[in-house]
Amino acid sequence: MVKTKIWVFLILAILVIAAAASALVLTRPAAGRVARIYVDGELVREVDLDRVAAQERYTVRTDRGENVILLEPGRIRVESADCPDQICVKAGWLADSAAPIVCLPHRLVIELGGETELDAEAG
Amino acid sequence: MDLKRLARDGVFTAVAVVIFVIELQIPELLPIPGVKLGLANTVTLAALFLLGPADAGAILACRILLGGVLGGNLMAVVYSAAGGAAAYLTALFLRGHVTERQIWVVSVFSALAHSLGQMAAAVAVTATPSLVLYLPAMLAASVVTGLLTGFAAQFAVARLGKIRRR
Repeated sequence: MVKTKIWVFLILAILVIAAAASALVLTRPAAGRVARIYVDGELVREVDLDRVAAQERYTVRTDRGENVILLEPGRIRVESADCPDQICVKAGWLADSAAPIVCLPHRLVIELGGETELDAEAG
Repeated sequence: MDLKRLARDGVFTAVAVVIFVIELQIPELLPIPGVKLGLANTVTLAALFLLGPADAGAILACRILLGGVLGGNLMAVVYSAAGGAAAYLTALFLRGHVTERQIWVVSVFSALAHSLGQMAAAVAVTATPSLVLYLPAMLAASVVTGLLTGFAAQFAVARLGKIRRR
């Protein structure tokens, strides 16, 4: 049997390392200003946040449910959703963070990234 | 099959499902996907120490399926099955290395394993590797929730000695 003292030390070490790592990782800046909306891992829409001129609502509907996405100049959020946990709504605005907005029940992800070559040409 | 065993495991499953459904009514505290108290895990842990691996595994599987149906979130079954399996295997492995006064240790490590399993399932299902940015926060939260549910399980085991499998 391992002594309780050793377990306490090990568990505290894990807690401190995980907390420090999450502070580092969650404040990491995004690679770019292009918001990409994915459902089931497939890209459904791509918006350059710097080119959003006016507020716009965009609804993603699947047979699992719907998420109403609100676009504003420079930022994006899930305004409302009929998912059970509402984590995507509570995540709030996404403007410059690498950590994505996720709605696991609806398999929806909003992620910021850099421009692709295709965008550069189109722009 | 032994009727007494069937009835006893049924009671454990019922308790686990009720705890799970009640916990669904508590709003999420953190806007981080996959972070919750996981109180239903106290039943799995208590079952593992009181009744043994086979009974605990069956109770866990029934709770995840019934919880998914009653919670109305079938996607949750995928995530909690991946997390639950990882947590169960970890608890099974650690069980032989602790005393019944160290059940909270098993609980912390199985909460950590639950987060890892759930994250693997979420990355696979959504095909989004950047979800792992949430992993450190999930693991930190798991230590705290694992301690709370672990002590709950340990107190339950200490008081439920009479229904221990003979």
